[in-house]
Amino acid sequence: MTQVTQEAAAASQPFVMDTVFWTATTIFVLAYAVIVSEKVHKTVVALFGAALMLVLKILEQYEAFHVEELGVDWNVIFLLIGMMTIINLMRPTGFFEYIAIKSAKAGKGDPMRIMTIFALVTAVLSALLDNVTTVLLLAPVTLLIADALEVDPVPFLIVEALASNIGGTATLIGDPPNIMIASKAKLDFMDFIYNLTPVVIVLMVVLLVVVKIVFGKKLKTREELKERIMQMNEKEAIKDPLMLKKSLFVLGLVLVGFVFHGTLHLQPATVALFGAGLLLLLSGTHDPHHYLAEVEWPTIFFFIGLFILVGGVVKVGLIKLMSMKMLDLTQGNLFATSMIVMWFSAIASAIVDNIPYVATMNPLIIDMAKQMWPQEAGLALLRHPDLMPVWWSLALGACLGGNGSPIGASANVIVVGMAERAGKKISFMRFVAYGFPIMLLTVFISMIYVWLRYYVLRF
Amino acid sequence: MLFSRPNKYYTCTVEQCNDLVAHKNVLLEVSVKAKDIMEQVKDHLSPDDTIRDAVNKMRVVKRDDGIVGVKGMIVLDREGNLVGMVSVKDILKAIIPFYMTMTELGEFTWEGMLSEMTKKVADKKVEEIMVKDVITVPEDAPLMECADFIVKHNLQRVPVVDREKRVVGIIYVRDLYNAIVKVLLNDKEVENI
Repeated sequence: MTQVTQEAAAASQPFVMDTVFWTATTIFVLAYAVIVSEKVHKTVVALFGAALMLVLKILEQYEAFHVEELGVDWNVIFLLIGMMTIINLMRPTGFFEYIAIKSAKAGKGDPMRIMTIFALVTAVLSALLDNVTTVLLLAPVTLLIADALEVDPVPFLIVEALASNIGGTATLIGDPPNIMIASKAKLDFMDFIYNLTPVVIVLMVVLLVVVKIVFGKKLKTREELKERIMQMNEKEAIKDPLMLKKSLFVLGLVLVGFVFHGTLHLQPATVALFGAGLLLLLSGTHDPHHYLAEVEWPTIFFFIGLFILVGGVVKVGLIKLMSMKMLDLTQGNLFATSMIVMWFSAIASAIVDNIPYVATMNPLIIDMAKQMWPQEAGLALLRHPDLMPVWWSLALGACLGGNGSPIGASANVIVVGMAERAGKKISFMRFVAYGFPIMLLTVFISMIYVWLRYYVLRF
Repeated sequence: MLFSRPNKYYTCTVEQCNDLVAHKNVLLEVSVKAKDIMEQVKDHLSPDDTIRDAVNKMRVVKRDDGIVGVKGMIVLDREGNLVGMVSVKDILKAIIPFYMTMTELGEFTWEGMLSEMTKKVADKKVEEIMVKDVITVPEDAPLMECADFIVKHNLQRVPVVDREKRVVGIIYVRDLYNAIVKVLLNDKEVENI
């Protein structure tokens, strides 16, 4: 064979199904299977799988640490670490308790109004911070309010989890899938605001209408119990007013930084790390250990492990093979691709963790794009106008799919755990009874939105 | 009183004992073991008892010094094995809703909340609230070991077990304190106090 034909053959056959291919695929599939089975902690599985990829030289360490297409996405890692540190510094000020008590009072002690306001607050906080923190901080107050009003806390908790997953979909920083998609596809904060926030607002309105219909008549309390709420003084929640001011200043600065990070050519991780560094400095702490130790390191290392695992199968060509299969399926029709990606992501995210799912889908979509537009590269490829709806479909599907089951999203796992500790067990099916229809409804609306906006009205 | 306990047992020689009598302020603490200062187990809880049962048992039990009521009790299963320990603090913890300990919500309570929550948990089982990893000392443990355990683990009482791990008594903080008092002051001085 001449050199030219060899190159042509290499281009048409971008990978070889050799031992390395099958080893990498086996590690990847086994790791994902064990993660889904929950027999071993997911972080342990991801790290061990990643270590295997490195030890067996499927992926070189250099590639894992320094090559953007194959290795750890440090944008994601440091954005998460930065935001978690800011929240850890902010938490002891009592800000979140203040917001929650204030919200309950704004609802005048009426359970239905409180549920609505809590859902809205959860959605907004989830969009600006992260879902897990929001739910973790609001759920205890929810349980207190429910005890005070002598009502069942379960509907409140489930609605908060649903609102958190919907709200988190709205922004780049709201939900880990969005952070990952933004980093891979080089999308900025305002791209998410323009493209996802409008539909999320619609979805929240729909959620609140459904909640009103389902719980409106059931949630009643006595007048004297409402007084318990009205007598609470939210100002007592503030433990450190000075630190609160500093935290709000820095958080404000960080949010402004996110809005302008595209224009300023700063990565979101830079903005978050700057915020974390500045707030640590302003806090005057001599013991940063406490705040840094509270970063959710298992989650961070889960990401690191996953990136390397996925990097391994990207390198050997498994992801390319999958993207070719997907192209075969959709025949290059991007509307069909968007719809399949959205629905498949939603169902997959309801069943398994959406983080490993998106970690796999990101390179798959990029590979697919490379095959569709071989002449394009870099930003022109990643942000190809015809590819954008696919990214948005992935974000919508992966984030909203989390509502489908109690294990679909971290926020759900937290509320289920909290309810159980409060002696109010939420069975798998009880969550599904609320969550799955909401998932179907929100994904259906998102489907109409994507179709109308990107394929009919085209703006 | 250390020397007047019915279960006292010293492993000292006759000469040493004579010495002890002669110099009461020189206590040969090295030879005093856990079983020498421990108090008898008067009653215990079972895992199936409710919090209400536990409170009642702890209220009426008579201590070695004659005082009625204890602030903690061991939990034994049907075979008499030690399976846990319940103290007043564990009962308080059970009454305070977990969400209040998770976050700073102490200011946001209402009139009558404590009694409401108490009634809610009254029928909770002892096994749900007991401390399961009970720290014990062997009956022949030196007093320093007992003191170390009590301080290190912030305990008020520590069960004393025999070789078969069966509880033979309980050492309270006050028992150890009495032993210390004994070393620092002679009996006469103690009596004067």
